[in-house]
Amino acid sequence: MITMARDLPLLWPEILVLLAGAGALACEMLRLPRTALAVATALLLAATALSLPLLSLDTTVFGGTFRVDALSVWAKLILLPATVLALLLARAELAGSDREGTVYALLCFTSFGALVLAGSGDTMFLVLGVLLSGLGAFALVAYPRDDAATEAAMKFFVFASVAGAVMVFGLSYWFGATGTTLLDDLATPGLPPAAIAIGLAGMIVGLGYKASLAPFHFWAPDAYEGAPVSVAAYLSVVPKIGALFALAQVARDLPPGSGWSGAVAAVAVLTMTWGYLAALVQDNLVRLLAYSSIAQAGYFLLGIVAVGASPLALLSLVLFGAAYAAMNLGAFAIIQRSGRTLESFAGLGRARPAVGVAMVLFLLSLTGIPPLAGFVGKLLLFGAAIDANHTWLAVIAIVNSVLSLAVYLRIVVALYRQPAGAPGVPAGGALVTLVWVAALAATLLIGLAAQPLLAPLV
Amino acid sequence: MPLVTVTLFLPLAGALAVMALRRAPGAVAHGVAVCTSALTLAGALWMWSRGVADTGFTQIEEVQWMPAIGAAYRVGVDGISLPLVLLTAVLFLLTFVFSAGVRERPHTYVVLMLLLETASIGTFTALDAILFYVFFEVSLVSMYFMIAGWGHEDRQRAALMFFIYTLLGSLPLLLAILGLYLGADPHGFDMRAWIDQPPLAGGAAMLALVAMLFTFAVKTPVFPFHTWLPAAHVQAPAAGSVILAGVMLKFGTYGLVRFALQMTPAAFHEAGLVVLAFGVVSALYGAFAALAQNDLKRLVAYTSVNHMGYVVVAVAIAALTLDPALRAVALDGAVLQMVSHGLVTGALFFLVGMLQDRAHTRDMDRFGGLLAVVPLLGWAFVLSAFASLGLPGLAHFPAEFQIFLATLRVEPVAVVVILGIVVTAGLYLKAIRTVFLGEPGDAWRGMADLSLREKLTLAPLLALIVAVGVAPSWVLDVIHRTTATLGLG
Repeated sequence: MITMARDLPLLWPEILVLLAGAGALACEMLRLPRTALAVATALLLAATALSLPLLSLDTTVFGGTFRVDALSVWAKLILLPATVLALLLARAELAGSDREGTVYALLCFTSFGALVLAGSGDTMFLVLGVLLSGLGAFALVAYPRDDAATEAAMKFFVFASVAGAVMVFGLSYWFGATGTTLLDDLATPGLPPAAIAIGLAGMIVGLGYKASLAPFHFWAPDAYEGAPVSVAAYLSVVPKIGALFALAQVARDLPPGSGWSGAVAAVAVLTMTWGYLAALVQDNLVRLLAYSSIAQAGYFLLGIVAVGASPLALLSLVLFGAAYAAMNLGAFAIIQRSGRTLESFAGLGRARPAVGVAMVLFLLSLTGIPPLAGFVGKLLLFGAAIDANHTWLAVIAIVNSVLSLAVYLRIVVALYRQPAGAPGVPAGGALVTLVWVAALAATLLIGLAAQPLLAPLV
Repeated sequence: MPLVTVTLFLPLAGALAVMALRRAPGAVAHGVAVCTSALTLAGALWMWSRGVADTGFTQIEEVQWMPAIGAAYRVGVDGISLPLVLLTAVLFLLTFVFSAGVRERPHTYVVLMLLLETASIGTFTALDAILFYVFFEVSLVSMYFMIAGWGHEDRQRAALMFFIYTLLGSLPLLLAILGLYLGADPHGFDMRAWIDQPPLAGGAAMLALVAMLFTFAVKTPVFPFHTWLPAAHVQAPAAGSVILAGVMLKFGTYGLVRFALQMTPAAFHEAGLVVLAFGVVSALYGAFAALAQNDLKRLVAYTSVNHMGYVVVAVAIAALTLDPALRAVALDGAVLQMVSHGLVTGALFFLVGMLQDRAHTRDMDRFGGLLAVVPLLGWAFVLSAFASLGLPGLAHFPAEFQIFLATLRVEPVAVVVILGIVVTAGLYLKAIRTVFLGEPGDAWRGMADLSLREKLTLAPLLALIVAVGVAPSWVLDVIHRTTATLGLG
């Protein structure tokens, strides 16, 4: 291929992520888990740095099948640092356990899958991304090898297999209709609407499972609960954002009249409402955040329905993606240091004021209270939806934001309650502290100074 | 010097200082708070001395913030916001003096209150819709923690209800702001541009107006959206109640003027009668509901619904009339009423808090004859109560007089709202009789009269109540400069 020489430099970030995974694996084989962590972290950071020069590009590689555009580059800039934070959380939680280095390798490979998803310009890349990010994720969930983890991984795996099969089945209709696997060709006029609709349905199932959109979210709370907290934190951020960005990539090419935005809007309503209603009754914080992350995925869809109809769509997806990664990882980091139940948070805010304030800020940001990151993200998402004539959807999102406040305030109330028994507040490790401090800094900065993120997108 | 910005962020700087001094004794925290808020008041007075412009805003300070979406840090004042800024600075200083006795986690308390002060001044000075919304919401968060952390018996539930209810209230405003943003050409969040050239028209403007009215009706609060208010007030600490009633309720009526009236004037003109009806019902309902209370704090809380109802009436009248002179009269009354209500209700909540500190009850029937036991406290209450019922010579009279005058000229039927005055007169006389007159009960004989700290808290408020009542022109002149030229649309 004559284009190879041009394409490869554009893919350095992806190549480095693969190398990070392979390097971590090699180090693990040599029984050097700390080196594995160092190698993976260094290569991921290098990949992040190499993504920066690509920001101004809007092109494709491999004959249009993989996109190097704003969405895909921002996916790297958001997901790679998020993966680094997840690596640090995993180190703090799993250090010294058997096969520790494999976790780092699997995290890198799964992130690679998420990046493939976010840059998909072709249905085959979509399938590949879902599989890549899925295979690593099953193993990560099963890592503790106890009953809970095994059961969680099994449920996850069965669910994923079915969803993946439905997706491939649906996408075959697109192939039948267009004769190619390129997403671009979906915009061709005169395609049979039924084939487009079936393909869309399949794709919503496949990506919806990956992004835990209702009603394809059932695996998520169980998988998160059985998995190590650091893995749950990772799964709630990286593969999810990858899948949502993939959905945005598809939405760019769907013909406007095909009613896809209505279908996505319906899924958004269901996801937000179901997620928060279910979160309202959880006492296990990992499950609570799992349902919250389901609901938050619904908010992303407000940006996706506006793709092609509003210039705010891309802005809002990127900004909310960055905000969500920061605040969700931060909240999970504090759960990792403090315990998985609401009871374990009792009195934490009094005993450890800084941790308490950080958790409150993460939760307020998740609610969308200004001037935190989540607010700017949701502001733009609402703006995009209104601009795309989906004001009703923004209204429902707002009602759900009120519901979300009820969800998150339960944790805030616990933070400042007198603990029932003896206050047993565990001291957090340095790594976990590093993670929540970094996440907090990002949450505040994205809220107060979003301009550097917005400027390249306008 | 960027005076507005300095004044605005002084309390925040104070809050950061207190955080840095968190190992120091509580007295240091209170000292820092009093000093910072005194400086803030000095800043507000300085702003006052600079005055306002004949048209539009003045003392504008502007810095780019998110140019990509047209949001900037823009602050400034006009004759509507400047009196409210001054009111805010006064009330916060007095609140800090009053609560210098708080022993429970004083550092956190002071930090939250200072944060609230910045948020309050910011709400009144913001000229960028995003900035306005940020301050508007931050005030909710700090007030939530105030009620949850330092409130009375049932504080957790009340705080939760307050936060959820008012967040539900404020989110429609966000939608309206986005609607105005998308309607403005070029897209931007500059409130001055929206006021000079209302971005929306027709059905879109009406939708935005309805969303804004909902937000501000919850905040003000207007019947039937007021149910959060008594619960929050009863459970909030005294200082929290003072700020909630004295400052935060004004966000609602200020927004009603600044956003609803100025940014969607045509739609407001159309919907004016409906808003007027809500205002009338609210004012009357507040008065009658207050009449039925035995809890002193609830009583004062419901009179707030009554007084803020008059403001809503005035704003609706201003929207309905096409005569600029009458509109100015109505708005003068509305803004002055906000200031008066802040002073009078602030004083009343302080007094109820002082009574509660002594007696640990707010039940009127358990008191009696207190005027003989605590004469200073008693007379202060009598004066404030008379001011609240609209006695000439005290703060509410000039405001309510103008409101009724404009109402009579524009919609004579609505002047039925004047009945509220009769009812409030009755209820305050009843409250004074039960609590302060008659034979003092044995339980209260040892009650101490006002301490020095309490005197320092009340004296400036009572002086201001008289000053506004006797010679309202020093405030009215500032207000009138803006309202006289308030072009709508």
